[in-house]
Amino acid sequence: MIVSSAETWLHKVNPSLKLVALIVLCIVALFIHDLNYMMNVTLGVLLLFLCFTGHSIKHILLLSIPFCFIFISTSLTMILFGKGETLWFEWGLISITEESFMRGLLVGFRALLFAALGLTFSLTTRPVNLFYSLMQQVKLKPKYAYSFMAALRLIPIMMEEFQTIRNAMKVRGFEKGKGIRSVYFKMKAYSIPLLSGSIRRAHRIAVAMEAKRFSDTRDRTYYYEFGFSKKDHGFILYFIILLLAGFYLSIQFPLLPI
Amino acid sequence: MERIVHVEKLRMKFPGDESLLFKDLSVSFDRGEKVLLLGPSGCGKSTLLQVLSGLIPNSIEVPMKAEELKWPTSWGYVFQDPDSQFCMPFADEEIAFVLENLSVPKQEMKERIQHHLRQVGLNLKTIHTSIDTLSGGMKQRLAIASVLALEPEVIFLDEPTAMLDPEGTKEIWDLLKGIGRDKTVIIVEHKIDHVLEFIDRIVLFNDDGQIIADGPKDTILSLYKNEMKEHGIWFPGVWDEYIHDNKPIREHQSSDGVPLMQVQGFSGFRKKEEKIKVEELQVHSGEWIVIRGENGAGKSTLLHALMQFIKTNGTYELMGTPIKRVKNLTDHMTFVFQNPEFQFVANSVYEEIAYSLRIDKRTQQEIGERVHSLLEVFRLEAHQDKHPFQLSMGQKRRLSVAASIVIEKKIILLDEPTFGQDSKNTFALLEWFEEYRRRGITVIMVTHDDHISNNFATRIWTVKDGDVISDEKVSTQSGFVETKVLSF
Ligand SMILES: Nc1ncnc2c1ncn2[C@@H]1O[C@H](COP(=O)(O)OP(=O)(O)OP(=O)(O)O)[C@@H](O)[C@H]1O
Ligand SMILES: [Mg+2]
Repeated sequence: MIVSSAETWLHKVNPSLKLVALIVLCIVALFIHDLNYMMNVTLGVLLLFLCFTGHSIKHILLLSIPFCFIFISTSLTMILFGKGETLWFEWGLISITEESFMRGLLVGFRALLFAALGLTFSLTTRPVNLFYSLMQQVKLKPKYAYSFMAALRLIPIMMEEFQTIRNAMKVRGFEKGKGIRSVYFKMKAYSIPLLSGSIRRAHRIAVAMEAKRFSDTRDRTYYYEFGFSKKDHGFILYFIILLLAGFYLSIQFPLLPI
Repeated sequence: MERIVHVEKLRMKFPGDESLLFKDLSVSFDRGEKVLLLGPSGCGKSTLLQVLSGLIPNSIEVPMKAEELKWPTSWGYVFQDPDSQFCMPFADEEIAFVLENLSVPKQEMKERIQHHLRQVGLNLKTIHTSIDTLSGGMKQRLAIASVLALEPEVIFLDEPTAMLDPEGTKEIWDLLKGIGRDKTVIIVEHKIDHVLEFIDRIVLFNDDGQIIADGPKDTILSLYKNEMKEHGIWFPGVWDEYIHDNKPIREHQSSDGVPLMQVQGFSGFRKKEEKIKVEELQVHSGEWIVIRGENGAGKSTLLHALMQFIKTNGTYELMGTPIKRVKNLTDHMTFVFQNPEFQFVANSVYEEIAYSLRIDKRTQQEIGERVHSLLEVFRLEAHQDKHPFQLSMGQKRRLSVAASIVIEKKIILLDEPTFGQDSKNTFALLEWFEEYRRRGITVIMVTHDDHISNNFATRIWTVKDGDVISDEKVSTQSGFVETKVLSF
């Protein structure tokens, strides 16, 4: 992410390890069907997101808005329209049953967990660091890694270009054809030059890379070297404890009676 | 002397072109030479530079044939466009990318990065500076620094200062003089003022990509002046001769009546920040206004504000109507962008020029006639079926002007329309604008070229730090300059 922030221990965790750990946790979450357990795990991840990404509270809260939306929308659909036996409330198509309520919350928390994991990761990992680490730890081919990094550079350039193309079309009288011409037509008119421009620009960057003697050998040296440290142990340990303690607590002290 | 770059009987042709770009071209360069390739726009200089470095055909696939071809073992290439030659987001990472390619150990990298940045005089607060925050000139310095990191024997330079102001241009050439001393340097450049002291040999091309002369610079400059003039190559004194032969006259248009354009307490915003401020200005028909100022002073922003590309504040009236109530601004004004590539919207040169006419629902016949006459004026007939991106730098520039003025408007705004252009095309463009101006059209252009402000402009605005600080009327007859200082 471009937004600057304070560095926390999460930033220092090996990016590849972080990525793998988060993916594993996402998969694990798919198999958690106990609501109390799910809630505990999600709270543990939210704790990371809220306190350890190094971003200001204001920023974090702003980012949380879509979160709440995801949570409410996913759980509501399930709660209102899901099937179940113990009926709590019924009105037309809508029927709330105990089972659908619990399932709804479960799905909602799962969505929340995914979002929190994704955001925590992207807030604490520079893409450049991720690709350097992937080249070193996962042996990703430099060809792909550097192409991705160059492509990331293109994104802001493309955004700016979109504006310019709009202006260019305006100058040439394009906006005059307003009215019934649909949004689709405009999108098409903008996106074709944008895409062909980006392709050529990408090609030019590729040429520039080769002009700088880039080759796909693996014996290159790295400006950023990534290894493993205590922080990585801490990171893994955090999740192991979270999974175990969460399980234990969900049985001993369930937040919701089921 | 040891030959370091060499090509013998080169033949090549871009797919789709009718004729060969090069036919049996041979040229070679010795170690340590500083050579300038000079030729009209579109003659193939940039292409040749790519062949000599091996970028064609190794990185860019173009069918070609040569009896003998020797590439330098180590070389660096500085491209025209500062933006499309970086692949990393931060300055240190960009140079590190080169060092990694050369397998320099990590421990040495920091020091080498600092060394190369110092070499090019790029004093950043920290080496970990985002490239997006650098100005054009700083970007070109960074590009040169990363070329130096390659420790090249040969440096190829393709108009490295095309996007810079005169100050930046001079600095870059001064810099290159210092660091290029013990290297072979092969340069393509139209504006040769600063380059001449640096080089010792000139290779002269004609329109057909043939070498018409090749030798020590003094010999070439003194013996081939006519050829250079004929082929539209900039040589020292070309402007003096032009003025002597043509005597451009700027009789003033009367400046009474309703002003065409009037602004007062006007400011333009980018990302909610005020980037340009104008106290008061009036523009009348038949004026040629040149906007001057350093890189980043806000010249382009001023044009964008006038064109309403960005949010503006204050009074702005067009022929007495407040700008907000002008229905179709683009019926009255047109705009030529600084970077021609940004404005191409069609898939061929022909369609690019026809675009506005088609939107305006002109008849097929009218479109055909209009487009062909412009293709001829701007010398693009031979390329009408190409994609705009496939043109040479100068051709792109001309196309962008042609496409914007295809329908006549009362005001033409241009952002540096003459950079990267040979002299023939520059004069053709200027004469074209002058003819418009005499018909009462107002030309407002950003340019760094003093010759234009001295010989064509009727008025000069100077922009500094986001402020229009002076507005002077110029009249050639008396050489009298009337300055109206707006603010300090
Ligand atoms: N990729 C391409 N495909 C087709 N034609 C091309 C391509 N690149 C260049 N050309 C054509 O080849 C010719 C030579 O182009 P080149 O860029 O080498 O010219 P140049 O001498 O550098 O001109 P300028 O001074 O304007 O930059 C031009 O007519 C151009 O239209
Ligand atoms: Mg060129």
